[in-house]
Amino acid sequence: MGTNDEAGGQNRAGDEPEEASTSGDGETTVTEEGSELERSIGLTGGLSIGIGTMIGAGIFVFPGLAAGDAGPAAAASFAIGAVIALLVALPASELATAMPKSGGGYYYISRALGTLPGAVVGISIWLGLVFATAFYLVSFGSYAAALLSEAGVDVAGLPIVGTLALLFGVVLTVVNLVGTENAAKLQNYVVGLLLTILVVFLSYGGLDVLGVFGSESTPEQFLPFGVMPVFTTAALVFTSYLGFAQVATVAGDIKDPGRNLPLAMVGSVLTVAVLYVATIFVATSAFGSGRLATFGETAMVEVARALVGDAGAMAILLGGLLATVSSANASVLSTSRAVFAVSKDALLPTIASRVNLQYGTPHIALSMAGGPVLVLVAFGRVEVLAEVASFLHLVMYGLMCVALIAMRRDEPEWYDPDFQVPAHRAVAGTGAVASFGLIAFMQRESQIIGVAIMIAAAGWYKYYAGDVRLKGAL
Amino acid sequence: MNTDSRTIREPPRLLIPIEVLEGESISASLVEFLAPAEVVLLGYHDLPEQTPTEQASMQYEEKARTAIDDIADSFRGAGGNVETRIAFTHDRDQTVDRVAAEESVTGLLLPNPVGEIEEVIVPIRGAIDVDRLADLVATLLEDGSRRVTLWGLAEEGDEFDAEAAVEYTRNTLSERGLPDDQISTEVSVAESPVWDIIERSSEFDVIVMGEGGPGLLASLFGDPSERIAEGAVAPVLVVRNR
Repeated sequence: MGTNDEAGGQNRAGDEPEEASTSGDGETTVTEEGSELERSIGLTGGLSIGIGTMIGAGIFVFPGLAAGDAGPAAAASFAIGAVIALLVALPASELATAMPKSGGGYYYISRALGTLPGAVVGISIWLGLVFATAFYLVSFGSYAAALLSEAGVDVAGLPIVGTLALLFGVVLTVVNLVGTENAAKLQNYVVGLLLTILVVFLSYGGLDVLGVFGSESTPEQFLPFGVMPVFTTAALVFTSYLGFAQVATVAGDIKDPGRNLPLAMVGSVLTVAVLYVATIFVATSAFGSGRLATFGETAMVEVARALVGDAGAMAILLGGLLATVSSANASVLSTSRAVFAVSKDALLPTIASRVNLQYGTPHIALSMAGGPVLVLVAFGRVEVLAEVASFLHLVMYGLMCVALIAMRRDEPEWYDPDFQVPAHRAVAGTGAVASFGLIAFMQRESQIIGVAIMIAAAGWYKYYAGDVRLKGAL
Repeated sequence: MNTDSRTIREPPRLLIPIEVLEGESISASLVEFLAPAEVVLLGYHDLPEQTPTEQASMQYEEKARTAIDDIADSFRGAGGNVETRIAFTHDRDQTVDRVAAEESVTGLLLPNPVGEIEEVIVPIRGAIDVDRLADLVATLLEDGSRRVTLWGLAEEGDEFDAEAAVEYTRNTLSERGLPDDQISTEVSVAESPVWDIIERSSEFDVIVMGEGGPGLLASLFGDPSERIAEGAVAPVLVVRNR
């Protein structure tokens, strides 16, 4: 297409980036040879990917941890996360409508900023998603263990959380390797059910803590630990907002991407943000943040028990299981697509994008998602897993904002987004500063792991694919 | 195609979806039977959700193209006029519907194995686009060696006048120039038309039917034509509503 910079160069194995120049409309993409690639995910499906990935963490894992760190002001931490997510979702939407291809953030950054930043983001987002998946699985383990103890099984003293998480991680990987037909439809229903449970619970809980049903609870001091923990907690809970960009990794499958991509990304961020803030409000009002913190990852179960009784506790347990499963599954799928996008550009061995003959699934890319996840699940520290995942995503988010500014400045001929960010410099500039800024508030350990992964990614690029050129190639 | 004595209003155009990488194919007798119509061959590959369409196309595009070109050649060998398309999809029905609309086809084929084709059955169970049906049947039966049975099925207490519908269809076929001795008719009362059609399908070689409207049953179990194609031993040609 009409650019001066064509993709080129070779990696160590002698492969070149696959140039699949395509055209098409809202219903299909057409390859160079004229084959049609059907777009089969509508707006509901897109929203369900975004919400389904995000909701598990913010509601069912973080309230206890966050309230322990920041007090009732944890609600403000979630709000900060929402603002940053929105500042990134807008530029991401514009880039996605201009380049509606599988690969998401990696694709935009490699085309706008060049191969080195692209390679670093591509490889670290693969690992970032691996960390996120491990985090969701460990959370799943917590809920499964809580369910067991609810059912009267005595699990005291056993490493039950890690074991259940590992087992389920294996199941999830195998299911994906074999391939599924209707999991996406199922996901839509799961997300619908989750939203219903939450809206009912939060409305009831909200009225209750406001004193409609009983005595008004004593308001707690909003900032018991000062302002600083609000930001460190925002850095921790940002994992709850990682899902919206996963919509962009399946951009190649979204119908009418010019309309549906921005709506799905921005819509899913707004939906979960409202639910998160409401959840923290209800949870901290019901218990006081000190007690809430002692319940850990499954704090919401105790909140539900206090407000609605045992039936409420069961509903939230069920919700937590479904939500963490759907987050983990959506992340495995995104990981495999991220690996595909990078290996197609010859930055990873092309074997990673092979499709299995028997099951028709990209088995190597899926194993590169599932395998390392299991290692990390065994490692098992929820807060570090969450922060490293956020770290690697935030780097990509910040660079996406920079990529938008670069694209608008260069305006290549093919750059024709259906959706344009208003005041793009201000939005994307603030988005970039905020994304990078949030990283500064993370624990030292998470920062070191994150930086190490990025350096390793850059080293791999120099070693394996130093000659590959991607900038400007579409 | 040359239609001799026939007075076809619109030359019929058929969509033949083939799951090409699963080794699905079209038997020689069916190719010969369908060749008088314009044919759009759609080679599709239905992917699991884990696999991006782009990824599958990079690996399988050539293989799919070779396979579909082979089938197209067999139609050309039988004197047919054929176009080909290749699609990678996660949703077979969506792709077939889209291509059917884009190509404005008269009908589409739901394949089943078949031997020599002599007897065609047209079950008539309600509103059907008789003009399109007649164009299609008259064209496919032009060589004079095959016979068609128009079978009206009324459900008990139904307002549908099967007798009149069959008569109207027979007249339309005659107008298109199909000789009367190639047409026979019958009417029966059916409890479950879909089952009755499946049961009798072994007596015939090809089923031609309308797609049937939307309804509760259709949304639960799929279109009647698809259910029939699944249960019957004969290929089904579905005439699309306009």
